[in-house]
Amino acid sequence: MSIAIADPKMMTSSSSGRSLFRHTFALTRRSVVGRLRQPAVLAPAFIFPLFFAALGSASFNKLAGDPYFTDNIAKSFLNYAVAGAVLQGVLFGSTSAAGDLATDIEQGFFERLLASPISRTAIVLGRLAGSMVVAVVQVVIFLAIFLVAGARVESGPIGYLGLVGGSALLALAMSGLMAGLAIKSGSPEVVQGAFPLVFVLMFLSSAFFPRHYMKGWYRTVADWNPLSHIVEGMQGFMNHDLSASQFAKSWLLPLVIAIISIAFALRALSNRLAAS
Amino acid sequence: MSNLTAEQPMNVRTISDGARPLEVVAILVKRSMIRVRRMPSAFIPSLIMPVFQLIAFSGAFGFAVTSLGIKNALDWYVPLNAMQGASFGALGVSFGLINDMQTGFFDRILMAPTQRWVTVISSLVAAVVRCIVPITLVVLIGYLGGMNTPGGPMAIVCVAIASVAIAVVAAGFALGLTFRMRNLGAATLTQFAIFFTIFLSTSQVPLSAMSGWLRGVARINPMTNILRFARQGFLGDVTWEQSWGGIIAMAALLILTFIYAMTGIKKFDQ
Amino acid sequence: MTQAPIIATGLSRYFGTGDNAIKAVDGVDLEVQQGEIFGFLGPNGAGKSTTVRMLTTLLKPTAGTAFVAGYDVVKDADKVRRSIGVALQDAAIDPLMTGRELLTLQAVLYGLSKVAGKNRGEELLERVGLTAAADRRVGTYSGGMRRRLDLALSLVHEPTVLFLDEPTTGLDPMSRLTLWEEVKRLNAGGTTVLLTTQYLEEADQLADRIAIIDHGRIVRQGAPRELKAMVGSPTLSISVASSETDEARAILARFGDLRPTSEGTLGVGLARGAEDVASVIRALDEAGLKVRHLELDEPSLDDVFAEATGYRLEGADAANKPAETEVVPEAKKSRRGRK
Repeated sequence: MSIAIADPKMMTSSSSGRSLFRHTFALTRRSVVGRLRQPAVLAPAFIFPLFFAALGSASFNKLAGDPYFTDNIAKSFLNYAVAGAVLQGVLFGSTSAAGDLATDIEQGFFERLLASPISRTAIVLGRLAGSMVVAVVQVVIFLAIFLVAGARVESGPIGYLGLVGGSALLALAMSGLMAGLAIKSGSPEVVQGAFPLVFVLMFLSSAFFPRHYMKGWYRTVADWNPLSHIVEGMQGFMNHDLSASQFAKSWLLPLVIAIISIAFALRALSNRLAAS
Repeated sequence: MSNLTAEQPMNVRTISDGARPLEVVAILVKRSMIRVRRMPSAFIPSLIMPVFQLIAFSGAFGFAVTSLGIKNALDWYVPLNAMQGASFGALGVSFGLINDMQTGFFDRILMAPTQRWVTVISSLVAAVVRCIVPITLVVLIGYLGGMNTPGGPMAIVCVAIASVAIAVVAAGFALGLTFRMRNLGAATLTQFAIFFTIFLSTSQVPLSAMSGWLRGVARINPMTNILRFARQGFLGDVTWEQSWGGIIAMAALLILTFIYAMTGIKKFDQ
Repeated sequence: MTQAPIIATGLSRYFGTGDNAIKAVDGVDLEVQQGEIFGFLGPNGAGKSTTVRMLTTLLKPTAGTAFVAGYDVVKDADKVRRSIGVALQDAAIDPLMTGRELLTLQAVLYGLSKVAGKNRGEELLERVGLTAAADRRVGTYSGGMRRRLDLALSLVHEPTVLFLDEPTTGLDPMSRLTLWEEVKRLNAGGTTVLLTTQYLEEADQLADRIAIIDHGRIVRQGAPRELKAMVGSPTLSISVASSETDEARAILARFGDLRPTSEGTLGVGLARGAEDVASVIRALDEAGLKVRHLELDEPSLDDVFAEATGYRLEGADAANKPAETEVVPEAKKSRRGRK
């Protein structure tokens, strides 16, 4: 995978802004191509979320008989489940991307990048941007499937944008966090070990079932879990008329997390460089 | 057969026709336990996953079940997750077998004058021994969470029987698949098979609450009957009506997967 | 047992069918006598391991028959297995278990009670010199130790026939010698041994008779000494002062055919080898010629091999050999789960 090194265009030093963009683009492309070449990883990112959504809507449709549900949450459980499926797909995709990064580090390709005239930021941004691209594609595919299955985006055309944008920002946030973890640890196993934790966090939120119906300590955790609010923003796009709060929850929140996590990743990068 | 000492020379004629089955099963099961002890990382997930799912499912989906009149979501989920924990032993069996194939030790097992069914039974017994801890853990946490057992001690008996049966069925299936595929793909496939079999049944909600396609699939899934058998003591009394369907399903699956495993190992003799 | 312990007739194994079939083993005939050490010599991919797997019932032959310990390897595989011990190319061990545990396990698998099995294990551990390491995990053993354990595992039921597939490949010289000693000891005790090897010295040192296998076929078979003699007689090379060269050459020509040797020396073939050296030296001495350097080179097994196959197994010329036959990986490791 020497797209970055062998490409002569990469080696020319031009204004730092342009070269950053070009480097980032090339590394993004590498990141995406790399992901597509691992179909075994893509399968769980698609099959499981869709399966859980199908299972949920077939199992929990009685909920649609509860007036609170239909008034405040969603018209049908299928419509409710879309956002959760998107969330799953994005989270899983981001974790695998970080796994690729950790593998790069472990296998020394990362060091080779560092030794090249490519800017440090481009290396990290390339990965993150790649993650966003994959997330966008994933969301579009998911939406297409769900629409065929009978779901409806109640907030209209802007709602579609809202969903896609929110997913991209969430992917950015998640990959930033995982990339930081990958850079800090340099081990793909550590990153893969993080996925179960992410999975747990998803369950302790409104991703699979409305938190309104939860009780006790479980409810408390779900209330405080940022994922609950992010996914509820997306559920808003699916089930209600367009409103600013949906953007606040599904765009702003991930963006804030993204800024923190990217800072964390870049900090980890400079620590790693200082150490070597 | 005489007891051999170091001084007594041994020759081929004194090896009993087909080694002593009980001794072989005992030592192979012991070997399985040794491997778990020395490589616990392979075993830990089988403890954590069922417990986590118990907490996650009952916490997240509890309402779907309690709204139907069930007192505690744990009543519904403990049997499911106990059985799930038991099925993880199957994966351990598959991994162990693949490991033996890769190191070549499986050749030694094949060459030995031990009967094939003894080898298979040993793996199945090992799977049962492995499932004791996950089952116990899940039930314990259920009790801690306020699970009800209107059926009395029989409730635990039913869940134990069902879980052990699932462990054996899953292990038999894993063995049959691993004998045929001879690589790690077998473990992955077993995982998928168990996952879908469990989820496409009354895992989340009763039949009455299901809609459409899921209801149709769950109806014919033997897992539904087995779950009903396992759960009955937690939801009410243990009765024959709720049991016989599960018992037949378990018996049928046990026989089928055992045959699958046996025909798999026989392939090495061709 | 009056019948030879190992008899193979037309033994063959093909992978694939039709024109593209790979003939890993193509019509092997051999007969190993009771109490013999029989060496199977050949390069990688020649078909040694495949032949051994067929003889040890781990692989079914495509054609031909084989009888081991008097039983048909296909029809009475079970009976064959009880009479043979097998130590294959990669030590067949479980790295998580200790040596003692593995031996006891093997003994129980072969029908001993747990107590008897443990005793047997102790005995074997001592025999192969692993008593000190017996309670360590096999994964921590060195290559030599693993081979010794593998050998011990194959001896648990005191087989009359022992199969060793490349027993010393990858071992350091010390471990190799230790293993040779053990093999000789076993053979002295009456065990018939068939071993495969790619090392000429090993075949030379251990085997009573050898078979050279190349591209699935046996090209030479016999005792090492006989095979070497078939290639030719030893060469005596001497060096004398340059002024005395012509005279020395004339004298040498009386004893045998002159042969090309390295620069500055003269060479002659001596039909009776070392026995004739004294006469040659006496003749040169009587002529007043002074011998500065003297060397007697026996034809080696490498010469035998080169003459039979057209290339050398070891040494500088080994690089000239034709491309190895690649046995289809899945078929070669038919029982092992390697991808």
